[in-house]
Amino acid sequence: MNPLRITHRETPAGPLLRLSGDLDFDQAPELRRQVDQLDLRPGQCLVVDVSGLEFCDSSGITAFLTARQRALEARADVALSAVPANLLRVLTLVGLDRVFTLLPAGGDPARPTGQDTR
Amino acid sequence: MCRTGGVPDPAGDEASTHAAFTALLEDSAEDLYESAPCGFLSTMMDGTIAKINHTLLDWLGLDRRAVIGRMRFTDLLTVGGRLYHETHFAPLLRMQGELRGIALEMKRRGGGRLPVLVSAVIKHGVGGEPLLIRITVLDASDRRAYEEELLRRRQEAERSRAEAERARAEADEARRQAEADRARLADALAVLQRSLVPDSLPAVPGLETAVYYHAASPDQLGGDFYDLFPVAGDRWAFFLGDVCGKGPEAASLTSLTRYTLRAAAHHDPDPAAALATLNAVLHERYTAGGNPRYCTCVFGIVEPGRGQGPTTVRLASGGHPPALVLRADGRAEFLPTPGGMLVGVLPGAPIGTAQTVLADGDTIVLYTDGLTEARTGPGRDDLFGEDALRAFAAEHAPAAPHEVITALTGLLKRFGDGLGDDTALLALGAPATPSPAHPARTS
Amino acid sequence: MDVRHRNNVKVTGRDDGPVLVLAHGFGCDQNMWRLVVPALAERYRLVLFDYVGSGGSALSAWSEERYSSLHGYARDVVEVCEELDLRRAVFVGHSVSAMVGVLAAQAAPERIGALVMVTPSPCYIDDEEYRGGFSTEDIEELLASLEANYLGWSSAMAPVIMGNPERPELGQELTNSFCATDPDIARVFARTTFLTDSRDDLKSVSVPTLVLECEQDAIAPREVGAYVHAAIGSSRLVTLAATGHCPQLSAPEATTEAILGFLDTIR
Repeated sequence: MNPLRITHRETPAGPLLRLSGDLDFDQAPELRRQVDQLDLRPGQCLVVDVSGLEFCDSSGITAFLTARQRALEARADVALSAVPANLLRVLTLVGLDRVFTLLPAGGDPARPTGQDTR
Repeated sequence: MCRTGGVPDPAGDEASTHAAFTALLEDSAEDLYESAPCGFLSTMMDGTIAKINHTLLDWLGLDRRAVIGRMRFTDLLTVGGRLYHETHFAPLLRMQGELRGIALEMKRRGGGRLPVLVSAVIKHGVGGEPLLIRITVLDASDRRAYEEELLRRRQEAERSRAEAERARAEADEARRQAEADRARLADALAVLQRSLVPDSLPAVPGLETAVYYHAASPDQLGGDFYDLFPVAGDRWAFFLGDVCGKGPEAASLTSLTRYTLRAAAHHDPDPAAALATLNAVLHERYTAGGNPRYCTCVFGIVEPGRGQGPTTVRLASGGHPPALVLRADGRAEFLPTPGGMLVGVLPGAPIGTAQTVLADGDTIVLYTDGLTEARTGPGRDDLFGEDALRAFAAEHAPAAPHEVITALTGLLKRFGDGLGDDTALLALGAPATPSPAHPARTS
Repeated sequence: MDVRHRNNVKVTGRDDGPVLVLAHGFGCDQNMWRLVVPALAERYRLVLFDYVGSGGSALSAWSEERYSSLHGYARDVVEVCEELDLRRAVFVGHSVSAMVGVLAAQAAPERIGALVMVTPSPCYIDDEEYRGGFSTEDIEELLASLEANYLGWSSAMAPVIMGNPERPELGQELTNSFCATDPDIARVFARTTFLTDSRDDLKSVSVPTLVLECEQDAIAPREVGAYVHAAIGSSRLVTLAATGHCPQLSAPEATTEAILGFLDTIR
């Protein structure tokens, strides 16, 4: 098991959470706890950078859904950034690619655009 | 030999020794008897005290006149001492003629007790007849204190040992209790598990069926589910799915899902309507309360042709891997249900649908992603995958439901540790040689 | 367990003689009878035994539950009688064993035809008009000293007896019987002996009974002998011109004479 690491940074567009490690049954509650502590304001966008995720199971999906619900309650938006291929396949299979805004790597609203077009 | 300085003159030494002896000789025998550092007494053979020294009278706080001829030796003893005297001391003395170092207790005036060591000897007359008993009494208070300390230590050690044994017994009992609790829990889990999936599939006229369930962990409730049951007319409803999470929470979600779908199917046997109902129920029950819970699910209605027409299958799917069809002509194909989404996440979530006709010898297989997500290599991305599944199916087509399930079960076993999740398999097929009374097959 | 082994049963004397069962008291064993055995054995068949927990008995058979009541000791007696199939035997009990004999006769009347009670006491503690010879405090002190004393007794006794080469008849078994009693077992026996009030059981005695007391007895005073005699209608009282609680040791000839005299009257 790879430990889940979450770094939090505030950007003008809203909070940015960067995840690395495993988002599984045992560690997903930590993401939920961090999201609960965010000060989300209307019109902001919570960006979750998942490029460093090595594993994500249904508990991780649930945590994303919880974050989305939390954002909607605050009249904010939510986006997943730099989704690895494997996770993208799962999201597409279950139809969540149409629920979450998916940003390309570097599509982070807090960064200048065009630096990384991978 | 030479005398050297520093050695005392032997003559002078002799002189001082002599002076000491003289002083000793002036110490009368009578005074020695009375004032010796131990007690002396003499008794008649019946125990009556005839003579007693001052030391002993002093220890016991007694007056000589009250003792001589009036008290017996046993009167000087405590009750315990008296008992021991009667049962041991006196009989042994009579048998042996003497006794040495017997521990007894004497009564002191004022109620105190004096631990003593007693030696006794019988004085015989010229004819050998016993005349009297001479007794020496030593103060054993210090020795008694030492013995009591030893005894106290021994009792403490025994108490500690008893406590340690009790603690161990309690720990054993707690472990037995825990094992019993675990056994009861396992029984309860088994009962619950049976309520989540049917014990066996019903026999469906004109349809062959087969099912297999692999539980990833024997002491965890599974998160996969399936069912097959009749609805109105000659139609049968079936579903197979996978709830999020694991353990008791997943089980309660599975239970709600299974019975919601069963009820919904009776109300409106349209597959998409059943899933829409399930979506609404789960969303209301969980996600709207801030606790998103969901499942992926394929729900279908099958109408067996029974030799008089085609066997039709209509499917609806919410975020579930596509069904697989093994055709009688040897082809294997997925039956995509595009556009479907996880059930329970969004109000009015889209549901994908599909339909097909099963010719005689065709078999449709529903599965959960334990199969396609099984790891086939060291990396996390080395997954079995849908392409490999279709290739595997093509190798085995055509195949009756029980043949497909047998082949897939063998595949799952070959995954070994790579099969990390619960896996459910359900196959339905139109018999290759249809007969109205063809029995259903399950495995 | 085999009763003969359990109770260290020894049978001696005339094979065809009437049977006497000799039962020792607290803190002793069957060796207490050694000085009267030769004379009694000339005319009687003698059964000697040790209560479980005493002398040469099997200590593994001891249980605190059973031997916390005189009835437990009475069961030993009855079981010995059954093992040897004794009928109407004469039970000779010393000290507390005299009362054990009363209980055994109640339990198995066909086994016991007469009682010889040597310095008996049905109750050691004074109670209103009754004079048992001890106050409650006396007995408590006795039990306490018994508890505390054992270390001293056992360590003091052994060298005395071992260091007596002129008297070879005081063999190893005597050392054992007097010194090696398990302190826990002795404590239970002492509590049972000195705290039991068996006065009501005396009324049940209907067999011919000899009450044997000493002129001077620091454990069972004369009043107790008179009480026992008065309570048992079928009893004779003999007062020996002897001192102490163990006339079978202090006055073996007189004791033998009194027992044989009594037995003559009931045959």
